[in-house]
Amino acid sequence: MIELSNVVKRYGQATVLNNITLAIDEPSIYCLLGRNGAGKTTLLKSIAGYQNITSGTIQVDGKRISTATLDTGVSYIENFAKHLNLPVGKLLRIASEVNPDYDYDFASEMMERFELDVNKKFNHLSLGMKTMVSTIICLASNKSVVLLDEPVLGFDAIMRVEFYDMLTESFRRHPRIIIVSTHIIEEIAKTIQKLIVIDRGSIVFFDTLQSVETKAFSVSGLQKDVETATKHLHVIGKDAVGGLVTAYIFDDPPEQNASLEIHPLSLLDFFIQMVGHKGGTAR
Amino acid sequence: MKAIFAIVKRLLASNAISYIVTLLMVLCATSSGDTVLSNGNYTWLLAVMTPFFFVFYDYAKLMHLGASKKDYCIGCLISYGILAFGISLVNTLIHMLIDPVYPARAVINMMDVCKWTGNNIVVAALQQMFFLLLVMIFLHVLLSMQLYWYGWLTDAALVAIVCIFTPIAALRSVLSNFFQVIMINGNAFLQIGFCLLLSAALSCVGLYVLKRKTL
Repeated sequence: MIELSNVVKRYGQATVLNNITLAIDEPSIYCLLGRNGAGKTTLLKSIAGYQNITSGTIQVDGKRISTATLDTGVSYIENFAKHLNLPVGKLLRIASEVNPDYDYDFASEMMERFELDVNKKFNHLSLGMKTMVSTIICLASNKSVVLLDEPVLGFDAIMRVEFYDMLTESFRRHPRIIIVSTHIIEEIAKTIQKLIVIDRGSIVFFDTLQSVETKAFSVSGLQKDVETATKHLHVIGKDAVGGLVTAYIFDDPPEQNASLEIHPLSLLDFFIQMVGHKGGTAR
Repeated sequence: MKAIFAIVKRLLASNAISYIVTLLMVLCATSSGDTVLSNGNYTWLLAVMTPFFFVFYDYAKLMHLGASKKDYCIGCLISYGILAFGISLVNTLIHMLIDPVYPARAVINMMDVCKWTGNNIVVAALQQMFFLLLVMIFLHVLLSMQLYWYGWLTDAALVAIVCIFTPIAALRSVLSNFFQVIMINGNAFLQIGFCLLLSAALSCVGLYVLKRKTL
């Protein structure tokens, strides 16, 4: 279980994490979405104990997390993680030796599935393959919390599909909290169960994917009709073209009538409406 | 314990450059004249080079493989112990077997300079081992601090101590006494005890630094 309480992280004058309070208690695959610079990596690194926060507390399975935590129980991997320049097979074996909980069988299976050459040295792999090796090491760690920071960076379309399968397979074998930060929203939707959206250092959305499917809609029509229909609803964004207005809501949809067009929002559109800014201001 | 020994194995294995440089120096270093330096002295180079690799090369990579900070810390201490033992053994063997066959009249080995050979050779080897252990732990802690302000402050303090203590006679004797206790000391009990005490204190400082280390 991950518990963040009033977490603030500042770099000089810049506030990167802004008073985040969040409890993630269910084993599940979570997707962390946010724009560049929203604070995703800072959040994940803070949960992993790779860096300290300015104020607040982070706890994983009841253990307070900071750089002083000698054994966090969290496995974190960033996209350009450097490893010992050894043959990949040997690297995975060392990982299994330094971490007693490591699932070597899973790692070996994944190596075969991705046709990774066990004799090839890590530095001789392509960017995508390096990321894949790092991801396999992280998923096979069997820690209670696994954090993957932009794992699909450098993957081609087929590798991405394979990666999502691997994620599902890993979770099926060992249900635990897996948080994946990514920009490729639509692809991962089939794999994840819950969504966390971070924007300018604050968590703006944390709910199931199902809630997006049942509650995120666009309501279009004449301004007067749209305003009336969405008056008491949670409007997350608005667009106006000529006399037509589109309101994006996260709520129960208003009743359908002839003057309104109501459509469900795709995950991408929902994300854009949640975090889209023009000129630095909220839409 | 399995994880700690795996870390020790990895730390020792990834230190190849230090072994090669030390070996080359020991094999290739030459000096001439009536008084020459023993090639065994160059084995100490390994003690100086090793912490650089442990701190700047191995730490992040082991963490990315899923090792814990605690295991890394213990693994480093065990590795330094093994290396200190190895270096001391090799230099002692060189002192016993190779130094006597030099054509020069006098062969200077650090074991003689430090007055350790006045004791039994096993005791002398132990004195050397614990001194080298102290050197490696000291360097490890100092290098670990270099990314932080307090590391630079420590550097400045060390330079200041050397600069201020050396020219002033009274302070110079304090500095000299310190080195006479930890290094140039025929009293094995006192020297080993002091080295162990300082090593333990420095290990605690090292743990403090490790607990603040980011990735």
